Amino acid sequence: MRIATSTVYELGVAGILQRQQDVLKTQQQVSSGRRILTPSDDPIAAAAVLGVSQSKAVNEQYQRNIEIAGTVLASEDQALSEATRVLQDIKVLAVNAGNMALNDQDRQALAVEARGLYQEMLGIANRADGEGNYLFAGYQSATPPFSESAPGSVSYVGDQGQREVSISGSRAVAITDAGSAIYQNVRSGNGTFVAGTGIGANTGSGVVDPGRVTDPAKWNMPGNSRDFTVAFHVDNSATPAVTTYDIVDNVNGVSLLTGAAPAAGPHLRTYTPGAAILLKTRAPPDTNATPFDVGAELSVDGAPANGDTFTVKPSTRLDVFSIMHRLISNMTTGPGVSANAHADYRNDLNSAMLGLDHALDTVLTTRAAVGARMKEADNARGVAETLTLQYAQRISTLEDLDYAQALSDLTRQQFQLEAAQKSFKEVSANSLFNYL
Amino acid sequence: MSSGIFGIAISGLNAAQAGLATTGHNISNAGTEGYHRQSVVQGAAVPLETGAGFLGQGVAVSTVRRIYSDHLDSQVGKAEAQAAFFSAYDIEIAQIDNLLTDAQSGMAPVLQGFFGALNDVASDPSSLAARQSLLSAGSSLETRFQALDNRLSEIRSGVNQRLSSTVGEINTYATQIASLNARILAVEHGSAQPANDLQDQRDSLVSGLNKLVGATSVRQDDGSVNVFIGIGQNLVVGAQAFQLKVLPSLDDPGSPVVGYDIGTGLVRIDPRSLNGGSLGGLLAFRGDALNSAQNELGRIAAGLAQSFNAVHQAGQDLTGALGGAFFSQPQPSVQSRSGNAGNAVLSASITDANALTASDYRLTAGSGSYSVTRLSDNVTTRYASLPQTVDGMTVSVGSGTPANGDVFLIQPVRNAASQIRMQLTNAGQVAAAAPIRTAASAANTGSASISVGAVAGVAPLNANLQQPVTITFTSTGTFNVSGAGTGNPSGIAYTAGADISYNGWSVRVSGTPQAGDTFTVTPNSGGTADGRNAARLAGLQTARTLGGGTASYQDTYGQLVNSTGNKAREIQVSVRAQENIATQVRQTQQSLSGVNLDEEAANLLRYQQAYQASAKLIHAASTVFDTLMSLGSR
Repeated sequence: MRIATSTVYELGVAGILQRQQDVLKTQQQVSSGRRILTPSDDPIAAAAVLGVSQSKAVNEQYQRNIEIAGTVLASEDQALSEATRVLQDIKVLAVNAGNMALNDQDRQALAVEARGLYQEMLGIANRADGEGNYLFAGYQSATPPFSESAPGSVSYVGDQGQREVSISGSRAVAITDAGSAIYQNVRSGNGTFVAGTGIGANTGSGVVDPGRVTDPAKWNMPGNSRDFTVAFHVDNSATPAVTTYDIVDNVNGVSLLTGAAPAAGPHLRTYTPGAAILLKTRAPPDTNATPFDVGAELSVDGAPANGDTFTVKPSTRLDVFSIMHRLISNMTTGPGVSANAHADYRNDLNSAMLGLDHALDTVLTTRAAVGARMKEADNARGVAETLTLQYAQRISTLEDLDYAQALSDLTRQQFQLEAAQKSFKEVSANSLFNYL
Repeated sequence: MSSGIFGIAISGLNAAQAGLATTGHNISNAGTEGYHRQSVVQGAAVPLETGAGFLGQGVAVSTVRRIYSDHLDSQVGKAEAQAAFFSAYDIEIAQIDNLLTDAQSGMAPVLQGFFGALNDVASDPSSLAARQSLLSAGSSLETRFQALDNRLSEIRSGVNQRLSSTVGEINTYATQIASLNARILAVEHGSAQPANDLQDQRDSLVSGLNKLVGATSVRQDDGSVNVFIGIGQNLVVGAQAFQLKVLPSLDDPGSPVVGYDIGTGLVRIDPRSLNGGSLGGLLAFRGDALNSAQNELGRIAAGLAQSFNAVHQAGQDLTGALGGAFFSQPQPSVQSRSGNAGNAVLSASITDANALTASDYRLTAGSGSYSVTRLSDNVTTRYASLPQTVDGMTVSVGSGTPANGDVFLIQPVRNAASQIRMQLTNAGQVAAAAPIRTAASAANTGSASISVGAVAGVAPLNANLQQPVTITFTSTGTFNVSGAGTGNPSGIAYTAGADISYNGWSVRVSGTPQAGDTFTVTPNSGGTADGRNAARLAGLQTARTLGGGTASYQDTYGQLVNSTGNKAREIQVSVRAQENIATQVRQTQQSLSGVNLDEEAANLLRYQQAYQASAKLIHAASTVFDTLMSLGSR
């Protein structure tokens, strides 16, 4: 075929330009370290990089959230550990206060110490984190959650919200607990019912224990009124005096021992100090035609007087401040001198110590939950770190350059460019005119 | 007799001179664009009849021929028109291609930054610093949307400018071709010989025109060429050139089209029929890659504003008020076509980000009906009346009445990316909290607990959302609900962990409640540390809120990057392929019509020798004559 002279130049130059483009492209790849310079280089990988980089960003966000969760949970754990110590300290004071050998001054000293602990507890409950957010205020972290209108009368002005942060795509952990669930969530009595007596109502020296539920299924049966009175009758005509008691269902207003309306006494059951008073039918001596059994028992020690009563009522929620305050005022007042006053003092101390135990339980349970959440956040941190690494690797695989390949390409392309340039010089130099 | 030899010698000298001149012409035009090599066509002169037969009378030059193939030249024209088409497309799309994924200019980093800041607010809602950085991230997002859209608009106006300058060039070419047609007609008519160099000039102009618009040229018997563009629209007929004009488009005000003024009115050429040359490349780029990039970007902006606002408005800000709009909602643009007979003004608004498409729409009013055509796939739906919801936007008649046949263009998202604005001005306005909270009564004896509660659905909110509501258990298995808006139902069966939904919220109670236990749902006043709504907003980052529940914001952007990248790659490949084809065809054409200098050198020698030989003949004739003369002098 005829070759036009212009074709020699056109093809030669086109070849050189093409090689130059190749060299430049590879050089750009090498200098940027990226295989994909524009999406058109690899449209699928370019879009995939966007997707993976978002996943990576989200995952890094989880890592930041985990840090936040760790910090806030650690503050809460710190506060709760202080609360634990306060409750343990005041429990020791309560035990000391039970020592009847103490004089008034000793008890006043205990009361002063207890008052300090009370203030400390209030401070802990109103603890703020590093950024001034009240830890136990629920969502209303700008306001101190516990406000004291009078000693022992502390109200919660926060809410029951829990701040949550996402620590993975499917899991958000609570990083705070509402103060009401910790400091106002102390079950009174033994946690199920309160065996108690009103101050000053009794005249004898009977001291009641917390009692216990022996069969929860029976206690929870729908027919159970959960509201009983144990009424004592002392027959002083006999020697020694005979103490008997009745169990009255306060809702139905009947004696559970007889099935009839409560009578004045003497009652069917005979009292033995410290022996269990079973809240179920014992025949004999009970005469009730319909047997009852609410699966619970309590015991009374000492010598109840005629007409003394002890009540069994469902547990309610107390707040730790009122428990502490009652303990303090009890300490301040002292046990008095009569046997009856001693019994009242002991009943109150017992109830306070029981309350403190439950308060401690609540705090410890919350601490355990906080610990579990910290652990969970830690685990999530490990997962998130691994994922971040994997995403980074995936992005690298998608868009990063294989340097060995690129440098070898570059060498080859440079060689081709030189060859094209040299050969063009040779070919274009050939002309018949050189010989004319 | 010797005069015969002189005559022959001189005819040889003349022919050799013509050959030398033509060879010289070829050599000197070896580098001329569009030049076709020429050669001298010579033949033996008419012989002299004698008794002894026919005596040759030397050589005669009949013409100078241009070595030209209509077929090959038109192939070159077509190949070059295609190459110019792809090259123009390539130059333009490369700008978008680079724009979209660049870390400095792309959407992906700011989207991630925005949602990162949102997550920080969710983790620490009461921190004003976190809220402030969310506002900064929001305004970077707004700025990036605008910057990208601005760049796309700049590219569009650049294309439009090139369009009108190209039309100007085309008109110049057409005029020149027409005037050359006239000159060639005149010259060839006078001499009956081909005007080779004028024809080369004209063919070169046609080839230049081809690179601009992809023209078809048809050679006429009289030597002129007629030129057509598109689907047979006349550009040059004989000595007459038609002038193209840039006219406003009927379908897209931002995209003028090419047409004629035929005196009685304007005729627009369908841009899709101009599918060659750089003009075709520009039109195809604008109608295809650029429109879809700007619309897709707008769809993300409009979709983000709509879906993000809906959740933001279901939250509560730092002051306790319900959340406002985080972003302004970009509105569709509705244009009434010029020449509409009615006076109707149509309006459209975006109501559902999920159903939104990246297409433009054409609404045609009929008698008692409206047809809406989605331009991306030309699907037409007829409606008896307006307002109607079409693909996530609601179209209604704002005022006036449309006449039968009136046409409106609706661009739901074309300008959305330039219109999106962050509406919040202070950090407290971020609605990070949920507007309700729950509580269990302290007097509860059962072990049941209530969840923190959530707003079900998005704005517009239930009017009674923040009414206090109490759930009171009447037994372990049933409860009553009381509070404004609930209808105070009673005796509802309790299932632990099941949703209890009233007034636009839903909560869950789990565990074993006792009779008399109560739970309350109340307004979340003072809930500054609540980040529930911020967490819900942050969840939108990966939620599939666009494209009928198939794609997140980032996914949609990824699709845009992917489709632009694919198109750019396709065009790049086509540019290379088409340039190779053009090179090959040109090579074939040049192998016929191009000048080969070695060949011309040989011709030079040949004609030089022929000249010398003819001169030698004169010398021989002269010697013969001298011999005769010397005879007489003796």
